[in-house]
Formats: sequence, structure tokens, C-alpha cells
Amino acid sequence: MKNSKSILKKLTASREVSLIIVLVILCVAIGLRSPSFLTLKSIADMFKNNVVTMIMAVGMLGVLLVGGIDISIASTLAFSGMAVGMLLKRGVITSTPLAILIAVGIGLVCGLLVGLVVAKGNVAPIIASMGFMYIYRGLAYVISNNEWASADSLGDFKNFALGKILGINNVVWIMILIYIAFFILMKWTTLGRKLYAVGSNREAAEISGINASNVILFSHTMMGVLAGLCGALAVSIYASAQANMLYGKEMDVIAACVIGGVSMTGGRGSVLGAFLGALILAIIAKALPLVGIEAIAQNTVKGVIILVVIILNVLTQRSMDKNSLKEREL
Amino acid sequence: MAGKSGRTIAHTQNKSLLKRLMCWESMLVILFIIVNIYCSSLSSTYQINNVLREMPKYLTEVFLLLPMAYILVMGDIDISVGSIVCLSATVACILGNKGLPFGLVLLVGLLTGALCGLINGIIVTKFTELPPMIVTLGTQILFRGIAEIALGSGGSISLEHAEGFRMLAGRVGRIPYILFLVLILAVIYIIILSKTTFGRKLYAIGSNKLAAYYAGVKVQKIRLIVFTLTGLMAGLSALFLTALQYGVNTTTASGFEMNAISMAVFGGISTAGGKGRLQGGVIAAFIIISLRVGLGQINLNPQVILIILGALLILAVMAPNIVEQFKLMKKRSSVK
Repeated sequence: MKNSKSILKKLTASREVSLIIVLVILCVAIGLRSPSFLTLKSIADMFKNNVVTMIMAVGMLGVLLVGGIDISIASTLAFSGMAVGMLLKRGVITSTPLAILIAVGIGLVCGLLVGLVVAKGNVAPIIASMGFMYIYRGLAYVISNNEWASADSLGDFKNFALGKILGINNVVWIMILIYIAFFILMKWTTLGRKLYAVGSNREAAEISGINASNVILFSHTMMGVLAGLCGALAVSIYASAQANMLYGKEMDVIAACVIGGVSMTGGRGSVLGAFLGALILAIIAKALPLVGIEAIAQNTVKGVIILVVIILNVLTQRSMDKNSLKEREL
Repeated sequence: MAGKSGRTIAHTQNKSLLKRLMCWESMLVILFIIVNIYCSSLSSTYQINNVLREMPKYLTEVFLLLPMAYILVMGDIDISVGSIVCLSATVACILGNKGLPFGLVLLVGLLTGALCGLINGIIVTKFTELPPMIVTLGTQILFRGIAEIALGSGGSISLEHAEGFRMLAGRVGRIPYILFLVLILAVIYIIILSKTTFGRKLYAIGSNKLAAYYAGVKVQKIRLIVFTLTGLMAGLSALFLTALQYGVNTTTASGFEMNAISMAVFGGISTAGGKGRLQGGVIAAFIIISLRVGLGQINLNPQVILIILGALLILAVMAPNIVEQFKLMKKRSSVK
């Protein structure tokens, strides 16, 4: 009896398990109303269209873990995407790997700058990334020169998001690889554990010999790399590059992390949680039209879900604290 | 913590005139003058008439700066204000087009904003475990979502009975009403923050919530009031914005929250709470407005102006920290 109770408790206590339960209920409910949802093609489409949010969510996880936040990522994405788009349009580069490499390089520099200002300049992360949000978005417009790269001008590059390996889209493969890498990084490397340590208690981490500012610098740089990569992927997926692309996406990414149980105050959250949060947002976006709710209501539903999830989380946490207090009294 | 950047309220009391002049606000005033000289050297059209004509659309953001400063001083943040503006504007626009009396339209527009702010306030005060950032992220998406539904598939509504709204966009001589209102409200907000017990309580909450609570400050009640006030001001901003744009669309006021926060931070208000003065925020707002108007006069791409603003923001925040680090290094070397 006691054993089963503790298992139940473990299950409800783990954010990931409750998220998976929510996901299954969501999928079954949507699948019953609209059988076309649970087909392989529809799911593959959904993943492909949400790769950008999913990849950036894991980067944001790293930033949130150290107690930071980065709202410049959508601008970094637009900057790197626009750079790649213009280079392809002008015919400066034609090779796909080179285009992706350039995008990653731009992202690296962008992220590094944000990280330097946050970690070495001691500026609050939200303010630093807000400044860079303006700067990078502005740069995207400057290099676009009031033009945009259409599908024709992108050449072979747009085919990258159409290609498949073993039946799975290239861009989805990239996402899977990134998630595996981050899972290993967070779980089994000292660097990953340092991220958690700095986020839980920066002073304690510093006393125990961790260079906190370097860890913070790393998390922002990693975020930049992923945002830069997503710039190239987004250009390939949507077969166009515009300076205003994915405006406001950073809030979706943060929302995905929050739904996935990543704490905004640092130290708590997991790679699986970030993934599940992004997946829930993706399913909602995909499912609303299928169950007869107009696409126009998508943001309302999203907003309500975020609020419900965070409030439920507080309520369960409170009841758990109460219970553990009771047990102690007994 | 106190005096880390030399901008705390306690540190400016009882100081010599010279020291008083050496504060962040005077730097901002100097910067304001430099920016204005620079802008008038850039373009011959940067004259008082043109500035007054271009100003109103940017002034709608200053309405948001004033309560945002209170929120930041308390150590909170509200990133839903842009969406509240959009929703209030939508409601006002729809009711205005239905032919309701203009007074009622104004009232409902303001109340919509206040209601949204109240919702934010209730959530952040009932669930104090939640950082206001996430709560207002949720309501940011929610409020704009509701506005999107109300705006329908077209995504925009234009004013049909614009008489009342046109009055809002009017001017006395050359000076627009909105400038008067902004200045009057700014003075009121500054006095409340710096001279009243309510203002002191805001600083107390921002410096240490728990200590403020034990000192008898009704922390949650004050937070609720300030968040609601923010909503109300967003409603006010929405009315003027509707009047200036003759309508509303789904992207109305997107990014306003960040603009308001950046004005406050540029003005020396710390996002960590308990630090900074609203005077600085208001001067910073006028610096930013002058830059936007001035650079707009030479047809510089608005996005390039963004780059300049972003860089200014980061430099302004980093400068005191770097100075502080230098001082620390000096101290350390002199000790050795």
C-alpha cells in the first residue's frame, strides 16, 4: 500500500509524466474528433513546421536554468536567416552546408555578444537581450536593403527542408540530434551540472569553484548558436527570407519552456520538459482547426493554457508542501 | 546593495550642489540637448512645428512608461501592456463604430484596460510564487488573442464615427492635447513616487518584499493597485492611439511593453527593483522620442533607429557597472 502510494506520488510529482499524460489525453481527444490528426503525414508535418520552436526551446532551457532569459533570439534568427537568404540571392554562396555554417557562425557571434554583456557587463539578462533584440532585428533590415529572398532566389537551399533520410525530414533529424546532444550535456557532463548549480544558487556555485559568469556566457552563446541555426532552417522550411520573419517568436519559445516546467528563477527544468512544452504548443496550433475552433482563436487558447498550466503548477506545489508538512507533524 | 550605481534615493539626500548635479538625470538632460542639437544639424526640417506634429504617436508610449516605472521599482515586470493597449483599442473602436456616445466609449476603453490590469494583478498577488514575467507573458498572448478574435478575419477595424476621437487628437495652437496630458501625468506620477508614503512603499517593496511586509506595508494590495493602474494607463494610451491611427489592427501597440521598459531602464530605473527615479525615465523618453523624430526627418529607416536605440540602451545600463568595476579595482590595488 505504502509502496503504491509513493509511486503515485512520484508520478504526479514529476512534471514530465504529468505533461505526457496531458499530451496523450490531448492526442486521443483530437484523434477521436478528427482521425486525420493521428496520421503519420500530419504528425511529420507538425514536427517540420515546429522545428524552430523546438530547437530554440532547448537553448532557452539552458539560459533559463542559469536564471537568465534571452528575448533577442527571434531577432538573431531573422538576422542570420536574412544574411543567408541575401547571400544565396546574390549568388555569393550556393552550397547548403556552407549556408548553414554561416548562419551558425552569425548566431554564435550574436549569442556571444549577449552573453558578454550579461555575464561580464553585469547587465540584467532581460535588458541586455532587449537591447540586442532591437539591434539584431535592425541589422536584419539593414542587410535586407528592403528586399526579400523568394523561393526562386534560394536555389537548392530550400530543398534541404524537403529532403528526407530514413523517411524523416532533414530538419527533424537536426532537431533530434540537438536534443540528444543536449540531453547528454545536461545529464552526464559537468558543464550541464554547472548550469543547474549556477541557477540554483550562484553564490554557492561560485564558492565551490565554478566560474559562474563563464557558465552564463556559455548558455547565451549556445542559445545564439541554436537561434542562428534556426535562422537557416526557417529560411529553408518557409522557402523565403524576410527581415520581419518570426517576429515575437521568443515569447512562444519561453512559453514552451514554462509549460514544460522550466523555472524562470533558474535551477529547475529538463530537456524532456522543454521538448514536451514545445510539443504541446505545436499540437494545439495544429489541432484547433481540426476540432472546429477557428485559427483566429489560437492565441487566446494558447494564453489560457499557459495561465492554467502555471497556476495548476503552483496549486499542486502548495498541496504537496502541505502534505509533506503534515507527514512531518505525524 | 545601496549605492551600487549611485542612483538610490537615500544617497541623493544632503549632498553638495555639485554632487547633486552629477547625477544620472543631469547626464540625461545633457544627452537630451546633444541629441536635439545633433538632430537639428542633420535636417533643416527638425523644427518645433514638425517635432510637435510627429510627437503624438510616440507619446502614447510614455503613458505606459509612467506606471511601468512603478512596477519596475517594485521589482516586478509587466510585458502584457502592449496587448492591453491593443484590446482596449479594439473594444473602443468597435463600440465607437456602433454609434455609442463618445463619453461611454472612453469610459469602456479605460475600464477594459483597468480590467486587464486587474486580472494581471489578481494572478500575481494570489499566486505570489509565480514570477510576474510568466504571468504577463500568458496574458500578453491571451489579451492580444481576444483582440484578434474581436477584430475578425480582416484583422483590422477603422473608425467610422471619428468625431470624438478626432477631438482627442486635437491641439491647442500647435501643441497637441496629448503632450499636455503626458506632462501633467508625468508630474503627478513623479510626485507620488518621490514625495508620498505610497511612493516610499514602492521602493520598500522593491528593495526587500519580506522586510516591507514585516514593516507593515500591505505588499500584495499595493502590487494589485499598481498592476490595475498599469492597465488603466494602457487603456488611456489605447484611446489616443486609436484616435491617431484612425483604427486598430492585430499588431497595434506590439512591442510597446519593451519600448516602455527600455525608456525606464535608460532613465536609470533598475529592473531588480528599489532603484531609480521616474524623472530620469521621463527625460529618457523624450531623448528617445527626439531621436526617433529627428532621424525620421532624414528618412532613416525606422529599423536603423532601432539599432541606435538598442546600442544606447545597453551602453547606458553597462556604463555605471563598468565605472563601478574600475572603482573596485582601484580600491583593491590601493589596499595592496
